[in-house]
Amino acid sequence: MSFLAPLFLTALAAIAVPIFVHLIQRERRTVVEFPSLMFVQRIPYQSVERRRIHNWPLLLLRIAALAAIVVAFARPFTAVDPVQAAASGDREVVVLLDRSASMGYGDRWARAQAEARRIVDGLSGSDRATIVAFDDTPEELVRASSDAGSLRAAIDAATVSSGGTRFAPALRLAQSRFSMSGAARKEAFLISDFQRSGWVRQEDIALPEGATITPVPVVDDDVATVAVASVALQREPFSGAERVTVTAGVVNRGAVAVPGLDVSLEIDGRVVGRQTIDLEPQATGAVTFEPVTVAESDVQGIVRAGTDALPADNSFYFVISPVRPVRVLVVDGDAADQAGLFLRTALGLGREPSFVVEQVQASRLTPELLSGKAVVIVNDAALSSAAAETLGAFAERGGGILLVVGERTPPGGWAAVPGTVSAPVDRMEARGATLGYLDYSHPVFEQFRDPRNGSFSAIRFIRYRAMQPQEGDRVLARFDDGAPALVERRVGAGRVIALTSSLNGTWNELPRHAMFLPLLHELAAYLAQHETPEAWVTVGRMLDVSAPVAALVREGQLSAAGAAGDVRGVVVTPSGRQVTLGAGGAESILLSEQGFYSVRIAGTGNRPPYVVAVNLAPEESDLTPIDPALVLASTVPGGVAGAPMDVEPLSAAGMEKRQSLWWSLLVVGLAALLVEGALSNRLSKKVVRRVGVQPGGAGTEG
Amino acid sequence: METHLVPGARFVDPKVLARVKDLELLARTVVDGFINGLHRAPHFGASVDFAEHRGYVPGDDIRHVDWRLYARTDRYFIKQYEADTNANLVILLDVSRSMSFASAGVSKLEYAKFLAACLAYLSHRQRDRVGIVTFDEEIVAWVPASAKHFHVLLHTVDRAAAERPGRLIDNLERLIDRFKRRSLVVLISDLYESPERLVEVLAPYRFGGHDLAVFHVLDPAEISFPYDEPSRFVDLESGEEMPVVPDRFAEEYRRLVREHIEALRARCIDVRIDYTLLETSRPLDEALFAYLSSRERSMRTR
Repeated sequence: MSFLAPLFLTALAAIAVPIFVHLIQRERRTVVEFPSLMFVQRIPYQSVERRRIHNWPLLLLRIAALAAIVVAFARPFTAVDPVQAAASGDREVVVLLDRSASMGYGDRWARAQAEARRIVDGLSGSDRATIVAFDDTPEELVRASSDAGSLRAAIDAATVSSGGTRFAPALRLAQSRFSMSGAARKEAFLISDFQRSGWVRQEDIALPEGATITPVPVVDDDVATVAVASVALQREPFSGAERVTVTAGVVNRGAVAVPGLDVSLEIDGRVVGRQTIDLEPQATGAVTFEPVTVAESDVQGIVRAGTDALPADNSFYFVISPVRPVRVLVVDGDAADQAGLFLRTALGLGREPSFVVEQVQASRLTPELLSGKAVVIVNDAALSSAAAETLGAFAERGGGILLVVGERTPPGGWAAVPGTVSAPVDRMEARGATLGYLDYSHPVFEQFRDPRNGSFSAIRFIRYRAMQPQEGDRVLARFDDGAPALVERRVGAGRVIALTSSLNGTWNELPRHAMFLPLLHELAAYLAQHETPEAWVTVGRMLDVSAPVAALVREGQLSAAGAAGDVRGVVVTPSGRQVTLGAGGAESILLSEQGFYSVRIAGTGNRPPYVVAVNLAPEESDLTPIDPALVLASTVPGGVAGAPMDVEPLSAAGMEKRQSLWWSLLVVGLAALLVEGALSNRLSKKVVRRVGVQPGGAGTEG
Repeated sequence: METHLVPGARFVDPKVLARVKDLELLARTVVDGFINGLHRAPHFGASVDFAEHRGYVPGDDIRHVDWRLYARTDRYFIKQYEADTNANLVILLDVSRSMSFASAGVSKLEYAKFLAACLAYLSHRQRDRVGIVTFDEEIVAWVPASAKHFHVLLHTVDRAAAERPGRLIDNLERLIDRFKRRSLVVLISDLYESPERLVEVLAPYRFGGHDLAVFHVLDPAEISFPYDEPSRFVDLESGEEMPVVPDRFAEEYRRLVREHIEALRARCIDVRIDYTLLETSRPLDEALFAYLSSRERSMRTR
């Protein structure tokens, strides 16, 4: 037993205090003058009696309390040879097993499992091990177990994932495991291919003092792998469908050139194209296939390139859905003029998305005409109340309405109109108004944030209708006098935007201005809630079903209320596992496997499932290793950990801190003081009751 | 002042008496009140009462011949009385330092002074001669018994102070030769002596024709020993010190004191000495009443 602060032990002399109190001070404290000691002297054991300890338990308690507190302040610890302790003490072992996609290269995974099993076999009876499998997120397969059987079973059952590599979260988990452990030795084993991409920057990881981390690299001297890194889709409309040209980017990560690499394109499981390419070492090439006609949604495509030791990155998955044209209905006023000419011409030039325009007079607007339409443009028309109600319901379902407010638009408004329309404002005398404010944060104007993409400031507005926006309306553009030019209102699942000047070419220059075309396209696409579907996503993303659900709502297959609530469905993963989405199932689903996820949303009948293609992170194909020392240097305090049995000698402070005996002693001392206080109080009360009247008067003092 | 259970008697708390500085007033207060409450007060004039006749023997004073009886019987008879003359009361008052002890209220010496004053007053009312001897290690004061010495006695009692250690046995041995006339000798002391030795010294008084009464004055603390805290005990007389842990010691002490008192009482009865234990916490008149009542009963049976 040693002490960190032995000087405190001098305070042990304080133990004499209670003895002094018991034997000396208490007797001297009271002097009783007594008439005669004739009888006192006759009592034979008086001399023994008067010198005996008054109350042994009380005295022992006081001594014990003082001794415990003094020794606690001296910070005791058991000095042991650190090497001997490390060799003989229990071990807390954490095996960090890299299961990222790159570990599927060759026999790396089998070697990694063998290394993990070897570590488990080396555990003694009292050692505990935690098996952590990690890719970009760590997962504890077995926590702090001494059962070699379950540890081995966990290692055998682990498989290579499609995830990327990140060392930091796994090391942080080991750090947490060690901080909770009281074992004498703490050892971590990092079994990995040490991909450079796994260590992106210096992470704040500090293993506890004395903990060791041993890298177990599972690498190959020469790696030769070819990967399909990306796919580009070029679309062209073709006879009501789309022709899609697929171009695949292929990378040779190896040090050896790959001549005549066979690259194939599969569409819905059938090979529709095959190309060859020569790749230089560490070089990239592109392969373009013949165009493919796509008529249906969610067509599954795969580009495969050669075969090598890492098959996962030889395939690239994508989904092709024909980009449907946005169907627009232009509602004109009853007095036919050229008002709709500019609109129809501009929309007819749309490509991504393309627009299909129909025209109808306001008096002939029926709900049937709205079927299949994504956007309705009310072009300066006076609507009947029935027509207004029909359009309101259309917006509620998710439709978009562009209200062009001109001279024929009646004052006031209806439910879907943002704000209240009032009298026209004539700015002729001031040579017309200009747009003084644009909300570039809005998706409609986001494209125009860059000045190189054009300016609206030169457009003259001679007349416009005054409009008073209501609460909740968003003003997207204002004239130079502050009057609203574009106002948006959200109605149910749909969007309504009002333009307070006409588009017939008399009130303003807008239809003739170069900015008219892109502005109208952006407005229509925004109102149609048009989004180009992603052809693929990377492993690690969450499944997002908002786009297909919104489409289903617009098509009337799903109610807006149902979409706003809990979306229910079934997801089939690439490995064939079925996961229930919503309704007591998973709230969200992590896309963790490479391949196609099929999503069937409840209430969509026989509609084909929505498909999401998931690919490996591109950096997983880059097998360039990093020196393990670089990872460990910023992880282990005091430098790189070497061999597994390297044990840093512990300082006295370190040993004391590890044992923390002082805390227990302090608690014991304070508890003894409490008991002593209660006991002495009880004894004092007893004495007072027994004595009643204390001796006093002439014969007593003190 | 508090009233006790004896009908007609009112007893005065010693603490109240201690505030009365005039000893005569004190004695009168105690004794008058006590006698007024005692309806059998006439019995106390018994000193001139007729006792018996006996036959005349040559040498008898012819003044005591009962001539009326001679006329009837033609024989000489001498009339004998219970006390044919005024009695002497001599009080032996122990004023050693141990008498200064007081656990609460009145010290033993004060209590003894009250008692002496009361006894003297009582005797003086009966025309007896009163005297007093105070002693510690020596004879401190000696007032011979006289009918005129009542006030000198009170003055002597008032002046008495416990200042020196006592030598009770030596003084008693020394004093016995000084009493020529038969007297009622009253010893007031805390009697820290061996009962055997004490009675051995007192017995000659009895043999000398003296009537002897012993008042054993003790403080309640001397009997009950209420101490509990370990203390340093100092002998008031010798100055000797002794650390005492009274925890289990007290019981033994009480037993010894009990045995001491019982031994004193038994030895005194053996030699027909009146023994009375007085605790300073008891009312003085109550103690006096109890003593005189028992004394009266003993005189009737004589």
